[in-house]
Amino acid sequence: MKLAAVRPPAIEIEGLHRSFGSVQALKGVDLEVAAGEVHALLGPNGAGKTTLMRILSGLVDPTAGSAHVLDRRAGRSPELRALIGMVPSGDRTFYLRLSGLENLVFFGRLHGLRRRAAHARASELLDAVGLGEAGLRPISTYSHGMQKRLSFARALLSDPQLLLVDEATHDLDPVAAQQVRELASERTRNGAAVLWATQRIEELHGFAERVTVLDRGTVAFAGSVTALAAIGGGDRHILQFGSAATIPPAVLDGLGSLHPAPGEDASHALLALAPGASLGAAIAALTAAGAEIVSCRDERPPIERAFLAVTTERAA
Amino acid sequence: MSVLVAEARKVPAFMRRDFLVMLSYRAAFAGDLFYIAIQAVMFGFVAELIDPSKLPSYGGVPASYFDFVMIGVVITTVCTVLLQRVAMAVRQEQMIGTLEALLVTPTSATTVQVGSVAFDLVFVPIRMALLLAAVALTLGLGYEASGILPSLVLLAGLVPFVWGLGLMTAAAIVTFRRGTGPLGVIMSVLGLASGAFFPLALLPEWLQRLAQANPVAIAMEGTREALIGGVGWAAIGSDFIVMVVLSGAAMFAGVAAFRVALAREHRRGTLGLY
Repeated sequence: MKLAAVRPPAIEIEGLHRSFGSVQALKGVDLEVAAGEVHALLGPNGAGKTTLMRILSGLVDPTAGSAHVLDRRAGRSPELRALIGMVPSGDRTFYLRLSGLENLVFFGRLHGLRRRAAHARASELLDAVGLGEAGLRPISTYSHGMQKRLSFARALLSDPQLLLVDEATHDLDPVAAQQVRELASERTRNGAAVLWATQRIEELHGFAERVTVLDRGTVAFAGSVTALAAIGGGDRHILQFGSAATIPPAVLDGLGSLHPAPGEDASHALLALAPGASLGAAIAALTAAGAEIVSCRDERPPIERAFLAVTTERAA
Repeated sequence: MSVLVAEARKVPAFMRRDFLVMLSYRAAFAGDLFYIAIQAVMFGFVAELIDPSKLPSYGGVPASYFDFVMIGVVITTVCTVLLQRVAMAVRQEQMIGTLEALLVTPTSATTVQVGSVAFDLVFVPIRMALLLAAVALTLGLGYEASGILPSLVLLAGLVPFVWGLGLMTAAAIVTFRRGTGPLGVIMSVLGLASGAFFPLALLPEWLQRLAQANPVAIAMEGTREALIGGVGWAAIGSDFIVMVVLSGAAMFAGVAAFRVALAREHRRGTLGLY
């Protein structure tokens, strides 16, 4: 069942196209994001994520197709822009000679806040993104990560119903990235929708509900994060053996199969588990056959495998 | 109406931003004032060389060259700064990367444009008035106080003309990413046919005819009538109507050209690119 069927849709896109000269950045993209949902937009460089974000925020017009945001046609209407918070992918979107606080107050006033209210909101958001102490310093002294957090704070100034986030955690350390994701999740608990463009596949689990994978301007996958992970195939693990014992294939008896581990030495092997088989049972069978297992680790997270599968399959 | 009020309330935010940015460049600000003061002193010396009988009289009062040229310096400076600021406001936001951040807020492109000029529109005339006062006290200027208000009205009538030209240049800059060339040409032609530094009577006849329809020249001559001749409101003559009509036309053409240029950039998706 579509999420948008049970919750009102925040974004509805059908057959969206955008060309820049001879380059087709988007080729018939469909997308639905429900209110209260974190929807991840995954894709390699040049997939069209930023173009999509810019169309939704009214910065770029689509060449063809339709894009509706919060029941309105995506575009330049000030009423719509008042409902959207945008974290752009680029750096240097602030006045570097001014402090973080003054920048936020300025943008707050452009969102219609009176000066006192803008100041209070700016101070509150600076604290929320961990920049409370740096707020009075000129932005020229901020690191990229600090500017990104400030950008996130700016997007929240108007208490938006839709948050468009383009690579927000790209320059952040793990703690700051988690902090920013938590702020986004908090918005969804208040009913806002979040479209989260990222290349950090590992941040999807436990954060995004659904994911759309864009690849060269088209949708390569759309569904739940769990469904994407399932495309990555069954569990695959790298085993390290303590001795070079020869293990007959029949030992695993339907639990899976052993293969040479790519990029590893001869003491390692790739264990591909059969669907439904448990890792414990496979290791027990190998140990019983005389194998000394020194270590065991995931070959690659399932979402990453799935991402590579849906994008490289198409390339092939 | 409420939309207009809401948009107008945003303009002080731009003014505060530009004031704070100006404060952060204190040396440049002081240097700018120093340059204008030196220019005033220089013209003070040049004035010693010029025979006042070669200059026109205003309201029956013969003008000294220093009185004459300082009005030219002030109005030319106001026009140049305003034209440059209007023309480059959007381009500057493009260059520093803040234009898209501004345009994703519920603020119209017109407010962004007006807001980015508002501080200079208020500050530059104040700065020039202070300079005139300082020059009057130190080097001596024989201006009539009764001419101050008519002069301000003339200046107010001129502002839309310069703004309109600035918007047309801004449209060209947003479209072609270059525009300082046309900006320089506009300022040179307007300056030459304005009588800022020498009497219009010295110009060839065809250029004198052009000057009669040049709002900058109209404002300059009117201001001289008011401040040097002391004719008061009589300085605002029938040519003021010519200036207002031309100002309206320039503003209309400028707004239209700027809107077309922005819409084109939206369609092409290149607004944020420099």
